[in-house]
Amino acid sequence: MPLASPIHPGQVVWTGENPGILLKEDPDGPFSAIATFFRIYLSPAGRGTVLLLLDSPEQRRQFPDGCNVLLHDNKGLAEYLLDSFISKLPAFAALPACESLSLIDIDESYSEGDPRSCYSEIVKAGSLDIKLTWDGLGTPTALELPTELTGAKENELYTLLIESTKPTIQVNGRQLPGNPVERVQADIKTTTAFLYFSETWIQPA
Amino acid sequence: MARVPVNPGTVAWAGDNPGIYLRETPDGPWTALGIFFRVLYSAYGRGSAMVILGDPGEASGFPNSRNVCLSTNQEMMRYLVDDFVRRFPSFRDQAGLEAMTWLDVASQASEGDMTDTWSETMHATGCTAEMRWTGLGSPFAVEVGPKDCATGIHDMYSVFMEAQSASITLNGAPLSGQVCERLFFGRKMSTAFMAVSETWVIPTPDEG
Repeated sequence: MPLASPIHPGQVVWTGENPGILLKEDPDGPFSAIATFFRIYLSPAGRGTVLLLLDSPEQRRQFPDGCNVLLHDNKGLAEYLLDSFISKLPAFAALPACESLSLIDIDESYSEGDPRSCYSEIVKAGSLDIKLTWDGLGTPTALELPTELTGAKENELYTLLIESTKPTIQVNGRQLPGNPVERVQADIKTTTAFLYFSETWIQPA
Repeated sequence: MARVPVNPGTVAWAGDNPGIYLRETPDGPWTALGIFFRVLYSAYGRGSAMVILGDPGEASGFPNSRNVCLSTNQEMMRYLVDDFVRRFPSFRDQAGLEAMTWLDVASQASEGDMTDTWSETMHATGCTAEMRWTGLGSPFAVEVGPKDCATGIHDMYSVFMEAQSASITLNGAPLSGQVCERLFFGRKMSTAFMAVSETWVIPTPDEG
């Protein structure tokens, strides 16, 4: 705070919710499981819900051999987020799993719980019944990040960060292995499990 | 104060907060005020609510007048009315806000694509309220400190979309008045707007 003028001169790219869980079995090893969820209110590809779920991030295992999937209720939005956002994030760009994603329609999705303590996103898509849970939630923090502090370093970001210390990813009742690890965002020590609410990406003027 | 990536203040709430303010004449008083909340996070939990003042100046509640608050979480909404709505310039000192009837929501629905139209509908026993926005413009981001904030005391981040026209109905009957023009940080904008992805922050005492 504050801008020179209260109206940001840049162009809104998309806005919505973008919570995620990235787990490792060995803190120094690769990610063992990844889930990043999108509830998009407004974007160039419209509204919708998208879930990127990787149960074997280091392998090109398509569904049903593996569960490296991009679930969606708006295919155009899923493809837009994959091309313009997910693939530009360093954590995802080099993952073999992202080269062989299976796109599957979402039948039903909803949230439950309370972001003050424990919160879940539930997604049902065909034979997949997925539950992402963020437990051990911390104090929320408002972030306003310049491009250089974002993953892709292209757009500015407003978001509300609530970190989780006890997240789980369940696929058809099976809990994926791994634990969150420490990460640093804008000089804050946090974890690789987080709620991101009121998230807005802005292309600088 | 220079921009900092991490706002040091305390997050009060986050969610959506679109509004519709109607007048019968451009220079006249508000004839109908409506504001909707979809709260993802607050110190009082999650929930949705709609404040409708169809008779803003009357110190009485629904059904004697058209002043009502419908909510899924009354504790949260009483906090938001006390600490936020009551401070908004259009709602400040409105007798209807003090006297409005509080109803628990039985069901609610959202409709639209947010590129041209959007509506929020809430049902309570004996009362159905709808707010509808049409002719939505391009989204733009807003970041304000206490000096420019509607409450006068918070930092706030939001995405706004102006609506060319809008309506508020209570049990199917439209409230009187039209959308008017106002100056919004130097930009001409109507008095009907979508406001989504908001975060309201209580600044630290030393924020200047």
